[in-house]
Amino acid sequence: MKCGNGIEARQVNELFINVDPIQAGGRLTGDAIKAIIAYGDGYSVCDNCRKPNRLDCIAKPPIAEFHKDVAAWLNMDAARMMPGARRGFQAVAHTYVSKGNPVLLTSLSHYTEFLAVEGAGGVACEIPADSNHLVTPDAAAAKIEEVKQKFGKAPVLAIIDHVDYQYGNLHDFAGIAKVAHQYDVPVLYNGAYTVGTMPVDGKVIGADFIVGSGHKSMASPAPSGVLATTAERAKEVFRTTGITGDVTGRKFGIKEPELMGCTLMGATLVGMMASFPHVKERVKHFDKELVNNRIVMEALLSIEGTKILSEYPRKHTLTRVDTTGSFDKVAETHKKKGFYFSSALNDKGIFGLIPGATRVWKFNTYGMTEKQARYLADAFVAVAQENGLPVK
Amino acid sequence: MILRETAPTHELDERQKAEAARLLENLERQVSSLKQEMLR
Repeated sequence: MKCGNGIEARQVNELFINVDPIQAGGRLTGDAIKAIIAYGDGYSVCDNCRKPNRLDCIAKPPIAEFHKDVAAWLNMDAARMMPGARRGFQAVAHTYVSKGNPVLLTSLSHYTEFLAVEGAGGVACEIPADSNHLVTPDAAAAKIEEVKQKFGKAPVLAIIDHVDYQYGNLHDFAGIAKVAHQYDVPVLYNGAYTVGTMPVDGKVIGADFIVGSGHKSMASPAPSGVLATTAERAKEVFRTTGITGDVTGRKFGIKEPELMGCTLMGATLVGMMASFPHVKERVKHFDKELVNNRIVMEALLSIEGTKILSEYPRKHTLTRVDTTGSFDKVAETHKKKGFYFSSALNDKGIFGLIPGATRVWKFNTYGMTEKQARYLADAFVAVAQENGLPVK
Repeated sequence: MILRETAPTHELDERQKAEAARLLENLERQVSSLKQEMLR
Protein backbone atom coordinates (compact mmCIF):
# COMPACT_ATOMS: atom_id res chain seq x y z
CA MET A 1 0.00 0.00 0.00
CA LYS A 2 1.18 3.51 -0.81
CA CYS A 3 0.26 6.66 1.12
CA GLY A 4 1.33 8.91 -1.71
CA ASN A 5 3.99 9.39 -4.32
CA GLY A 6 6.97 7.35 -3.12
CA ILE A 7 5.58 6.92 0.39
CA GLU A 8 5.17 3.26 1.23
CA ALA A 9 2.92 2.34 4.14
CA ARG A 10 5.18 1.59 7.12
CA GLN A 11 4.71 -1.90 8.53
CA VAL A 12 7.76 -2.23 10.78
CA ASN A 13 5.78 -2.89 13.93
CA GLU A 14 3.39 -5.28 12.19
CA LEU A 15 6.10 -7.43 10.60
CA PHE A 16 8.95 -7.26 13.12
CA ILE A 17 9.77 -7.21 16.79
CA ASN A 18 11.09 -3.65 17.00
CA VAL A 19 13.91 -3.21 19.52
CA ASP A 20 14.95 0.30 18.43
CA PRO A 21 15.94 1.97 21.71
CA ILE A 22 13.98 5.16 21.08
CA GLN A 23 10.92 3.68 19.40
CA ALA A 24 9.68 1.11 21.89
CA GLY A 25 7.57 3.32 24.17
CA GLY A 26 6.18 5.47 21.39
CA ARG A 27 4.41 2.77 19.42
CA LEU A 28 0.80 3.82 19.06
CA THR A 29 -2.18 2.14 20.65
CA GLY A 30 -5.10 1.15 18.42
CA ASP A 31 -7.09 4.10 19.75
CA ALA A 32 -4.29 6.53 18.86
CA ILE A 33 -4.12 5.14 15.32
CA LYS A 34 -7.85 5.77 14.93
CA ALA A 35 -7.52 9.24 16.47
CA ILE A 36 -4.80 10.44 14.11
CA ILE A 37 -6.90 9.48 11.12
CA ALA A 38 -10.00 11.16 12.54
CA TYR A 39 -8.15 14.33 13.62
CA GLY A 40 -5.55 14.58 10.86
CA ASP A 41 -6.97 17.78 9.36
CA GLY A 42 -4.91 20.81 10.34
CA TYR A 43 -7.06 22.71 12.84
CA SER A 44 -9.30 19.74 13.66
CA VAL A 45 -9.34 20.33 17.41
CA CYS A 46 -10.44 23.94 16.95
CA ASP A 47 -14.01 23.15 15.80
CA ASN A 48 -15.33 24.02 19.23
CA CYS A 49 -12.74 26.52 20.44
CA ARG A 50 -14.59 29.18 22.44
CA LYS A 51 -13.48 31.99 24.74
CA PRO A 52 -10.93 32.25 26.30
CA ASN A 53 -9.59 30.80 23.02
CA ARG A 54 -6.72 28.74 24.22
CA LEU A 55 -5.95 25.15 23.32
CA ASP A 56 -5.84 23.81 26.87
CA CYS A 57 -9.30 25.29 27.55
CA ILE A 58 -11.15 23.43 24.75
CA ALA A 59 -13.91 21.23 26.16
CA LYS A 60 -14.79 19.22 23.03
CA PRO A 61 -12.88 17.04 22.36
CA PRO A 62 -12.01 16.99 26.10
CA ILE A 63 -8.64 18.72 25.84
CA ALA A 64 -9.10 20.79 29.02
CA GLU A 65 -9.99 17.69 31.01
CA PHE A 66 -6.97 15.86 29.54
CA HIS A 67 -4.59 18.60 30.69
CA LYS A 68 -5.98 18.39 34.22
CA ASP A 69 -5.80 14.59 34.18
CA VAL A 70 -2.17 14.57 33.04
CA ALA A 71 -1.17 17.04 35.78
CA ALA A 72 -2.98 14.95 38.43
CA TRP A 73 -1.48 11.72 37.09
CA LEU A 74 2.02 13.16 37.54
CA ASN A 75 0.98 14.64 40.92
CA MET A 76 1.75 18.13 39.70
CA ASP A 77 -0.50 21.20 39.63
CA ALA A 78 -0.51 22.23 35.98
CA ALA A 79 0.45 20.69 32.66
CA ARG A 80 0.75 21.72 29.05
CA MET A 81 1.28 19.49 26.06
CA MET A 82 4.36 20.37 24.05
CA PRO A 83 5.71 19.50 20.60
CA GLY A 84 8.29 17.17 22.14
CA ALA A 85 10.21 17.02 25.41
CA ARG A 86 12.82 19.37 23.98
CA ARG A 87 10.27 22.17 23.78
CA GLY A 88 9.60 21.62 27.47
CA PHE A 89 13.30 22.08 28.24
CA GLN A 90 13.30 25.14 26.04
CA ALA A 91 10.30 26.76 27.77
CA VAL A 92 11.82 26.28 31.22
CA ALA A 93 15.33 27.36 30.19
CA HIS A 94 13.94 30.46 28.45
CA THR A 95 12.03 31.39 31.60
CA TYR A 96 14.82 30.96 34.16
CA VAL A 97 18.16 31.21 32.36
CA SER A 98 19.78 34.47 31.30
CA LYS A 99 23.05 35.10 29.49
CA GLY A 100 26.01 33.65 31.36
CA ASN A 101 23.93 31.83 33.99
CA PRO A 102 25.24 28.41 35.05
CA VAL A 103 22.84 25.49 34.52
CA LEU A 104 23.33 22.04 36.01
CA LEU A 105 23.26 19.17 33.52
CA THR A 106 24.97 15.78 33.71
CA SER A 107 27.61 13.95 31.72
CA LEU A 108 24.78 11.74 30.43
CA SER A 109 22.38 14.54 29.51
CA HIS A 110 20.57 14.50 26.18
CA TYR A 111 21.84 17.01 23.61
CA THR A 112 18.52 18.85 23.50
CA GLU A 113 19.04 19.89 27.12
CA PHE A 114 22.32 21.50 26.09
CA LEU A 115 20.63 23.25 23.18
CA ALA A 116 17.88 24.59 25.43
CA VAL A 117 20.51 26.03 27.77
CA GLU A 118 22.50 27.41 24.84
CA GLY A 119 19.42 29.03 23.35
CA ALA A 120 18.81 30.90 26.59
CA GLY A 121 22.46 31.99 26.79
CA GLY A 122 23.31 29.76 29.75
CA VAL A 123 26.49 27.86 30.55
CA ALA A 124 26.38 24.04 30.76
CA CYS A 125 27.84 22.63 33.97
CA GLU A 126 27.86 18.83 33.93
CA ILE A 127 27.66 16.64 37.00
CA PRO A 128 30.02 13.78 36.16
CA ALA A 129 28.62 10.26 36.30
CA ASP A 130 30.58 7.74 38.37
CA SER A 131 32.37 4.62 37.11
CA ASN A 132 29.03 2.75 37.12
CA HIS A 133 27.55 5.42 34.84
CA LEU A 134 25.35 6.73 37.64
CA VAL A 135 24.84 10.37 38.64
CA THR A 136 24.71 10.65 42.42
CA PRO A 137 23.52 13.29 44.91
CA ASP A 138 27.08 13.59 46.27
CA ALA A 139 28.39 14.38 42.81
CA ALA A 140 25.59 16.93 42.38
CA ALA A 141 26.54 18.64 45.65
CA ALA A 142 30.20 18.74 44.65
CA LYS A 143 29.32 20.23 41.26
CA ILE A 144 27.10 22.91 42.78
CA GLU A 145 29.95 23.89 45.11
CA GLU A 146 32.30 24.02 42.12
CA VAL A 147 29.83 26.22 40.21
CA LYS A 148 29.48 28.55 43.18
CA GLN A 149 33.25 28.95 43.31
CA LYS A 150 33.48 29.63 39.59
CA PHE A 151 30.40 31.81 39.02
CA GLY A 152 29.93 33.31 42.47
CA LYS A 153 26.40 31.89 42.60
CA ALA A 154 24.55 28.59 42.45
CA PRO A 155 23.14 27.27 39.17
CA VAL A 156 19.83 28.90 38.20
CA LEU A 157 18.37 25.59 37.06
CA ALA A 158 19.12 21.86 37.12
CA ILE A 159 17.98 19.51 34.36
CA ILE A 160 18.33 15.90 35.47
CA ASP A 161 17.42 12.75 33.53
CA HIS A 162 15.81 10.07 35.67
CA VAL A 163 16.75 7.45 33.07
CA ASP A 164 19.53 8.48 30.70
CA TYR A 165 19.49 7.76 26.98
CA GLN A 166 22.99 6.29 26.86
CA TYR A 167 22.83 3.46 29.40
CA GLY A 168 19.18 3.45 30.41
CA ASN A 169 20.36 3.72 34.02
CA LEU A 170 18.00 4.85 36.75
CA HIS A 171 19.56 7.77 38.63
CA ASP A 172 18.67 8.96 42.12
CA PHE A 173 16.63 11.92 40.94
CA ALA A 174 14.95 12.47 44.32
CA GLY A 175 18.33 12.57 46.07
CA ILE A 176 19.76 15.00 43.52
CA ALA A 177 16.65 17.22 43.73
CA LYS A 178 16.96 17.31 47.52
CA VAL A 179 20.56 18.50 47.23
CA ALA A 180 19.66 21.09 44.57
CA HIS A 181 16.83 22.48 46.66
CA GLN A 182 19.24 23.04 49.54
CA TYR A 183 20.86 25.60 47.23
CA ASP A 184 17.46 26.91 46.02
CA VAL A 185 18.05 25.49 42.56
CA PRO A 186 14.80 24.55 40.76
CA VAL A 187 14.97 21.09 39.24
CA LEU A 188 13.56 19.84 35.96
CA TYR A 189 12.90 16.11 35.81
CA ASN A 190 13.60 14.72 32.36
CA GLY A 191 11.25 11.77 32.13
CA ALA A 192 11.63 11.11 28.41
CA TYR A 193 12.15 7.41 29.19
CA THR A 194 9.93 7.20 32.28
CA VAL A 195 6.77 9.31 31.92
CA GLY A 196 4.41 6.88 30.23
CA THR A 197 6.37 3.72 30.90
CA MET A 198 6.73 3.66 34.69
CA PRO A 199 5.04 5.45 37.60
CA VAL A 200 6.18 9.05 38.18
CA ASP A 201 5.04 11.11 41.18
CA GLY A 202 6.30 14.68 40.98
CA LYS A 203 5.76 15.50 44.63
CA VAL A 204 7.47 12.35 45.88
CA ILE A 205 10.56 12.90 43.72
CA GLY A 206 10.67 16.64 44.44
CA ALA A 207 10.43 17.89 40.87
CA ASP A 208 9.73 21.53 40.11
CA PHE A 209 9.12 20.59 36.50
CA ILE A 210 8.39 17.28 34.83
CA VAL A 211 9.06 16.84 31.15
CA GLY A 212 7.88 13.76 29.29
CA SER A 213 8.07 12.67 25.68
CA GLY A 214 4.89 11.59 23.96
CA HIS A 215 6.60 9.94 21.01
CA LYS A 216 9.26 8.28 23.13
CA SER A 217 7.24 6.94 26.02
CA MET A 218 3.54 7.82 25.83
CA ALA A 219 2.43 5.80 22.80
CA SER A 220 1.91 9.02 20.86
CA PRO A 221 2.69 10.49 17.46
CA ALA A 222 5.69 12.80 17.02
CA PRO A 223 6.35 15.49 17.97
CA SER A 224 4.58 15.38 21.31
CA GLY A 225 5.43 15.77 24.96
CA VAL A 226 4.36 17.22 28.26
CA LEU A 227 5.60 19.91 30.63
CA ALA A 228 4.08 19.77 34.12
CA THR A 229 4.89 21.96 37.07
CA THR A 230 3.88 23.18 40.51
CA ALA A 231 1.34 25.95 41.13
CA GLU A 232 4.18 28.27 42.14
CA ARG A 233 6.26 27.66 39.02
CA ALA A 234 3.23 27.60 36.72
CA LYS A 235 2.81 31.34 37.30
CA GLU A 236 6.29 31.81 35.88
CA VAL A 237 6.68 29.31 33.05
CA PHE A 238 3.02 29.48 31.99
CA ARG A 239 2.76 33.25 32.47
CA THR A 240 0.33 34.99 30.11
CA THR A 241 1.11 37.60 27.51
CA GLY A 242 1.36 41.27 28.41
CA ILE A 243 2.34 42.71 25.06
CA THR A 244 0.36 45.44 23.28
CA GLY A 245 0.66 46.57 19.67
CA ASP A 246 1.73 50.21 19.52
CA VAL A 247 -0.37 51.01 16.44
CA THR A 248 -3.36 48.76 16.87
CA GLY A 249 -3.40 48.55 20.65
CA ARG A 250 -4.04 44.86 20.27
CA LYS A 251 -3.63 42.50 23.21
CA PHE A 252 -3.67 38.73 23.11
CA GLY A 253 -5.80 37.54 25.99
CA ILE A 254 -4.42 34.67 28.02
CA LYS A 255 -2.03 33.26 25.46
CA GLU A 256 1.19 31.96 26.99
CA PRO A 257 4.43 33.22 25.40
CA GLU A 258 6.50 30.13 26.26
CA LEU A 259 3.94 28.03 24.42
CA MET A 260 3.63 30.51 21.54
CA GLY A 261 -0.09 30.63 22.23
CA CYS A 262 -1.47 27.23 21.33
CA THR A 263 1.02 24.41 21.08
CA LEU A 264 0.19 20.83 20.35
CA MET A 265 -2.81 20.67 18.06
CA GLY A 266 -4.64 18.21 15.85
CA ALA A 267 -3.58 14.61 15.37
CA THR A 268 -0.61 14.70 17.73
CA LEU A 269 -2.64 15.99 20.66
CA VAL A 270 -5.64 13.76 20.10
CA GLY A 271 -3.29 10.82 19.55
CA MET A 272 -1.81 11.48 23.00
CA MET A 273 -5.28 11.77 24.48
CA ALA A 274 -6.45 8.52 22.89
CA SER A 275 -3.46 6.60 24.24
CA PHE A 276 -3.60 8.17 27.69
CA PRO A 277 -5.98 5.66 29.38
CA HIS A 278 -3.78 2.81 28.08
CA VAL A 279 -0.63 4.61 29.22
CA LYS A 280 -2.05 5.19 32.71
CA GLU A 281 -2.73 1.49 32.96
CA ARG A 282 0.55 0.23 31.54
CA VAL A 283 2.78 2.17 33.93
CA LYS A 284 1.35 0.01 36.71
CA HIS A 285 2.90 -3.05 35.09
CA PHE A 286 6.49 -1.98 34.59
CA ASP A 287 7.61 -4.98 36.66
CA LYS A 288 6.35 -7.21 33.85
CA GLU A 289 8.50 -5.27 31.41
CA LEU A 290 11.56 -5.96 33.55
CA VAL A 291 10.72 -9.68 33.65
CA ASN A 292 10.62 -9.73 29.84
CA ASN A 293 13.85 -7.73 29.71
CA ARG A 294 15.52 -10.27 32.00
CA ILE A 295 14.61 -13.11 29.62
CA VAL A 296 16.53 -11.34 26.84
CA MET A 297 19.43 -10.26 29.07
CA GLU A 298 20.01 -13.79 30.31
CA ALA A 299 20.12 -15.06 26.74
CA LEU A 300 22.63 -12.39 25.74
CA LEU A 301 24.79 -13.11 28.78
CA SER A 302 24.79 -16.81 27.89
CA ILE A 303 26.77 -15.88 24.76
CA GLU A 304 30.39 -15.91 25.89
CA GLY A 305 32.19 -12.58 25.67
CA THR A 306 29.02 -10.45 25.88
CA LYS A 307 29.00 -7.70 28.50
CA ILE A 308 26.21 -5.50 29.82
CA LEU A 309 27.37 -1.89 30.07
CA SER A 310 24.18 -0.68 31.77
CA GLU A 311 23.60 -1.25 35.48
CA TYR A 312 22.66 -4.86 36.17
CA PRO A 313 20.16 -6.21 37.21
CA ARG A 314 18.29 -3.86 34.96
CA LYS A 315 15.90 -1.27 36.34
CA HIS A 316 14.82 -0.10 32.89
CA THR A 317 14.27 -1.81 29.56
CA LEU A 318 16.65 0.42 27.54
CA THR A 319 19.99 -1.37 27.69
CA ARG A 320 23.52 -0.87 26.36
CA VAL A 321 25.60 -3.94 25.62
CA ASP A 322 29.15 -4.62 24.53
CA THR A 323 29.54 -7.52 22.13
CA THR A 324 33.13 -6.79 21.14
CA GLY A 325 34.03 -10.16 22.69
CA SER A 326 31.28 -12.07 20.88
CA PHE A 327 29.35 -10.87 17.80
CA ASP A 328 32.15 -8.49 16.77
CA LYS A 329 34.63 -11.38 16.54
CA VAL A 330 32.47 -12.93 13.83
CA ALA A 331 32.42 -9.60 11.95
CA GLU A 332 36.21 -9.74 11.58
CA THR A 333 35.96 -12.58 9.07
CA HIS A 334 32.33 -12.55 7.90
CA LYS A 335 31.80 -11.62 4.22
CA LYS A 336 29.12 -9.12 5.27
CA LYS A 337 31.46 -7.74 7.98
CA GLY A 338 29.47 -6.21 10.84
CA PHE A 339 26.32 -6.08 8.77
CA TYR A 340 25.86 -9.84 9.17
CA PHE A 341 24.45 -9.29 12.66
CA SER A 342 21.55 -6.94 11.93
CA SER A 343 20.97 -8.81 8.67
CA ALA A 344 20.64 -12.17 10.46
CA LEU A 345 18.30 -10.63 13.03
CA ASN A 346 16.22 -9.00 10.26
CA ASP A 347 15.87 -12.41 8.64
CA LYS A 348 14.45 -13.67 11.93
CA GLY A 349 11.98 -10.79 12.15
CA ILE A 350 13.92 -8.50 14.49
CA PHE A 351 14.23 -4.79 13.62
CA GLY A 352 15.87 -1.80 15.22
CA LEU A 353 19.57 -2.51 15.64
CA ILE A 354 21.93 -0.13 13.87
CA PRO A 355 23.11 -1.93 10.71
CA GLY A 356 26.81 -2.78 11.00
CA ALA A 357 27.01 -2.33 14.79
CA THR A 358 28.61 -5.34 16.50
CA ARG A 359 30.58 -3.69 19.30
CA VAL A 360 28.53 -1.38 21.51
CA TRP A 361 24.82 -1.07 20.81
CA LYS A 362 21.54 -0.39 22.53
CA PHE A 363 18.15 -1.99 22.40
CA ASN A 364 14.84 -1.70 24.21
CA THR A 365 12.45 -4.52 25.12
CA TYR A 366 9.62 -2.24 26.25
CA GLY A 367 6.14 -3.28 25.18
CA MET A 368 6.94 -6.84 24.12
CA THR A 369 4.80 -9.77 25.05
CA GLU A 370 6.54 -12.54 26.98
CA LYS A 371 6.33 -14.70 23.86
CA GLN A 372 8.11 -12.01 21.85
CA ALA A 373 10.78 -11.63 24.55
CA ARG A 374 11.45 -15.38 24.40
CA TYR A 375 11.53 -15.24 20.60
CA LEU A 376 14.06 -12.38 20.73
CA ALA A 377 16.18 -14.21 23.31
CA ASP A 378 16.20 -17.33 21.14
CA ALA A 379 17.06 -15.26 18.05
CA PHE A 380 20.18 -13.77 19.69
CA VAL A 381 21.34 -17.22 20.79
CA ALA A 382 20.58 -18.72 17.37
CA VAL A 383 22.62 -16.04 15.55
CA ALA A 384 25.50 -16.74 17.95
CA GLN A 385 25.33 -20.49 17.40
CA GLU A 386 24.97 -20.19 13.63
CA ASN A 387 28.21 -18.23 13.63
CA GLY A 388 30.16 -20.58 15.90
CA LEU A 389 30.12 -18.49 19.05
CA PRO A 390 30.17 -20.45 22.31
CA VAL A 391 26.95 -20.33 24.31
CA LYS A 392 26.90 -21.33 27.98
CA MET B 1 -2.84 -4.45 17.09
CA ILE B 2 -3.00 -8.25 16.88
CA LEU B 3 -0.39 -8.14 14.12
CA ARG B 4 1.88 -6.07 16.38
CA GLU B 5 1.41 -8.33 19.39
CA THR B 6 2.15 -11.46 17.40
CA ALA B 7 5.01 -10.25 15.16
CA PRO B 8 7.03 -11.72 13.59
CA THR B 9 5.45 -15.20 13.46
CA HIS B 10 1.81 -14.13 13.64
CA GLU B 11 0.81 -17.36 15.31
CA LEU B 12 -2.47 -16.42 16.95
CA ASP B 13 -3.71 -18.16 20.08
CA GLU B 14 -7.39 -19.06 20.47
CA ARG B 15 -8.29 -15.73 22.12
CA GLN B 16 -6.53 -13.78 19.38
CA LYS B 17 -8.18 -15.87 16.66
CA ALA B 18 -11.60 -15.14 18.17
CA GLU B 19 -10.78 -11.42 18.36
CA ALA B 20 -9.51 -11.40 14.76
CA ALA B 21 -12.71 -13.15 13.61
CA ARG B 22 -14.84 -10.57 15.43
CA LEU B 23 -12.91 -7.66 13.90
CA LEU B 24 -13.07 -9.12 10.38
CA GLU B 25 -16.82 -9.78 10.65
CA ASN B 26 -17.33 -6.21 11.80
CA LEU B 27 -15.25 -4.96 8.88
CA GLU B 28 -17.25 -7.02 6.41
CA ARG B 29 -20.47 -5.54 7.82
CA GLN B 30 -19.12 -2.02 7.43
CA VAL B 31 -17.96 -2.67 3.85
CA SER B 32 -21.36 -4.12 3.03
CA SER B 33 -23.06 -1.08 4.52
CA LEU B 34 -20.82 1.27 2.50
CA LYS B 35 -21.65 -0.65 -0.68
CA GLN B 36 -25.36 -0.26 -0.02
CA GLU B 37 -25.12 3.45 0.80
CA MET B 38 -22.66 4.57 -1.84
CA LEU B 39 -23.51 2.39 -4.81
CA ARG B 40 -27.31 2.39 -4.66
